[in-house]
Amino acid sequence: MLLDTEKNSLKTRLSPRLIGEGTKFERTRRITGYLVGTLERFNNAKRAEERDRVKHGV
Amino acid sequence: MLSAIIKRNGTSVPFDSAKILNAVNRANKAVNAEEMSPTDLLFVTEKVCKRLEAENLRHVEEIQDVVEDVLIKYGYAQTAKAYILYRAEHAKIREAETYLMDIYKKLTWSPAQEEDIKRENANIDGDTAMGTMLKYGSEGSKFFIDNHILPKDISAAHSNGDIHIHDKDFYMLTETCCQIDLIRLFKNGFFTGHGYLREPNAIESYSALACIAIQANQNEMHGGQSVPNFDFALAPGVRKTFVKEYHSAFADYIQVKTECSPGEALALERKIYSAVGPEMDMGARAEYAAGPECALDPDLLPLARKAHAHARDQALRRTDRRTYQAMEAFIHNLNTMNSRAGAQVPFSSVNYGTDTSPEGRMVVKNLLLATQAGLGRGETSIFPVQIFKVKAGVSFNPGDPNHDLFKLAMETSARRLFPNFSFLDAPFNLQYYRPGDYNTEVAYMGCRTRVIGNVHDRSREITCGRGNLSFTSVNLPRLGLEAGGDIRKFHALLDERVDLVFRQLLHRFKIQSSKKVRNYPFLMGEGIWLDSDSLGWDDAIEEVLKHGTLTLGFIGLAETLKALVGAHHGESAAAQELGLEIVGRMRERADAEARKTGLNFSLIATPAEGLSGRFAALDRKKYGLVPGVTDRPYYTNSFHVPVYFPINAFRKIKLEAPYHALTNAGHITYVELDGDPSKNLEAFEAVIRCMYEQGVGYGSVNHPLDRDPVCGYVGVINEVCPRCGRREGEGVSPETLKTLRGKYADVPPWK
Ligand SMILES: [Zn+2]
Repeated sequence: MLLDTEKNSLKTRLSPRLIGEGTKFERTRRITGYLVGTLERFNNAKRAEERDRVKHGV
Repeated sequence: MLSAIIKRNGTSVPFDSAKILNAVNRANKAVNAEEMSPTDLLFVTEKVCKRLEAENLRHVEEIQDVVEDVLIKYGYAQTAKAYILYRAEHAKIREAETYLMDIYKKLTWSPAQEEDIKRENANIDGDTAMGTMLKYGSEGSKFFIDNHILPKDISAAHSNGDIHIHDKDFYMLTETCCQIDLIRLFKNGFFTGHGYLREPNAIESYSALACIAIQANQNEMHGGQSVPNFDFALAPGVRKTFVKEYHSAFADYIQVKTECSPGEALALERKIYSAVGPEMDMGARAEYAAGPECALDPDLLPLARKAHAHARDQALRRTDRRTYQAMEAFIHNLNTMNSRAGAQVPFSSVNYGTDTSPEGRMVVKNLLLATQAGLGRGETSIFPVQIFKVKAGVSFNPGDPNHDLFKLAMETSARRLFPNFSFLDAPFNLQYYRPGDYNTEVAYMGCRTRVIGNVHDRSREITCGRGNLSFTSVNLPRLGLEAGGDIRKFHALLDERVDLVFRQLLHRFKIQSSKKVRNYPFLMGEGIWLDSDSLGWDDAIEEVLKHGTLTLGFIGLAETLKALVGAHHGESAAAQELGLEIVGRMRERADAEARKTGLNFSLIATPAEGLSGRFAALDRKKYGLVPGVTDRPYYTNSFHVPVYFPINAFRKIKLEAPYHALTNAGHITYVELDGDPSKNLEAFEAVIRCMYEQGVGYGSVNHPLDRDPVCGYVGVINEVCPRCGRREGEGVSPETLKTLRGKYADVPPWK
């Protein structure tokens, strides 16, 4: 996505054109055996569960 | 005389005394006494009208109050009672209708970000037109099932959270899932309902048709679709591809070397080939080299030998490349193709890893490599769920024919979260295993479903053509709270609850059984479901459905133990003992019911996506905040040690493994690893080997898997992307990206 919106045009003029501004990182997680491409699609309870997960030492 | 009345919604309509008369008549008909003649009815109606006028009552609720009073006053007590019941019933329906309409309003006007109901299933986009349409249908159907189909006590038990009937919206329609035997399906081609497809002849068409079969079946069932023998099923496609590549490379070589015409080259190739005998395949290619020696015209021998060597190598290379592309397409299709009117991609699973033929191995190798590479821009593929079958003598140990694939599978999983691992040597899986028969190898569907045992037909304890019919889960923590530390009371409550679930599963099974083959043109019409090929178009499917499983599930063992003894199974050995007793009891009940009915009653460790929050919320409302039980917004998945509990990976596996043996309808154990396990494959392998040793049936390793869409980095991203150095939301200069593109192949293009 190029920064060609009006909102960004000022910034674009002031600094060298940057690529990917506003783009979030993708965070893939597993719930109930299925993968989900982004945490935003988790329901509230599962979001809480994902937040609570602790790592298991090996 | 009253001229108009006011309805509940505030609007006014002309008064009609006949409506009162009819309502009283209806109530009177509902009782077996107090028979009212037309004159009696008119008398009561007139009394009602007079009082309405005298007291100037015009609202519909006031009118109904007066009707009750008048009936009682003139000695029609039973009729009055029936009238009150009728009123209450209608009030309930009205209330429920309002409830349904409220849901529809939410679905229509609230974004999924705000409405949990639109994110019940994370793989459906609740914001799209078809996603919303699907929810309208689903919520309307649930309303219908609750109010018109389910026995009252079962409906109440579901809505108050004692039990959860999964996929209730599909109650009247279909079954959960099926393990598809593509080998059988592909033979002689098949009809999808929209068109006829010939038997495939190359790996590309095998891959495409596999997707189409999964998609077609998904549209007739409400759960996932699984291929239990993916390597065996796709191997013939590799074989056919190799043979064609071989012959064409052979002929090309002859044409170039002898400078003959293409036609002559082909004829000579045929001559040589027919002299050799057995049909060419990848496995026999080494022996084939010796073949021409004996049977051919000695003049042709040197040419034949060289052509063979060239063709063999060329065909192998090309087949390998084409198989990779076919697997890439397979994954790509399953992540993009539509099902259910475009709201979803099919929920697909593929099991593999035991085919030791060179063709089957080529399928698996390339599927794993394509999975590692990711989708078009390097994204992790969400579907299919991949399951690698681990078996000693086949893949588990160094020296086993597929040990290299097992290694590659772990490497892939450490990078992309798939494949998961199934363990055919776990005793409860091994008991079905017969070497060389994929139908006896346990497969897992998607989240964890397992179907192999068969009390209905002991000679058919197999995977292909079977699946789960439906499942219903018990709210275990609630029973723990009700029992208040009294274990005996808990068991009594549990038995009662299990009775209810069995009754409900049978109620649903009756409905499912009454369906006909024509209701499932693909699943039954194409003979995918076991024995359905023996049925006619208008036959009921009851008999063949008996190969499927009727399943009892549970969630929140950890919270249950907290409620009962104050500790969960990660915290105390006594709690673990009690946990095994509870789950063991449920399994005994399922086994007994299976013996009694000849149906495959079984026990699953429920995958609780929407449910974990629903039960917890209802119980918090009912019992308040109980530490360790209702103090979190979710209940713990099935028999898992709680996610928040710090525990060593190996100990977690050890604690959860015995529950796998008890849950014959499905189970999974997760381990959460820190950091990027692809940089620590020894740790990853140690976890998988521990699962094997402990008797886990199905397991997988979770780890953070992040990706920066800007620079294409895949791995763990905390605050800053390790590759391009940007923070979330920041941009990167074109120069930086250009430099990175020189260093890494997977930097996505930016216009
Ligand atoms: Zn980056």
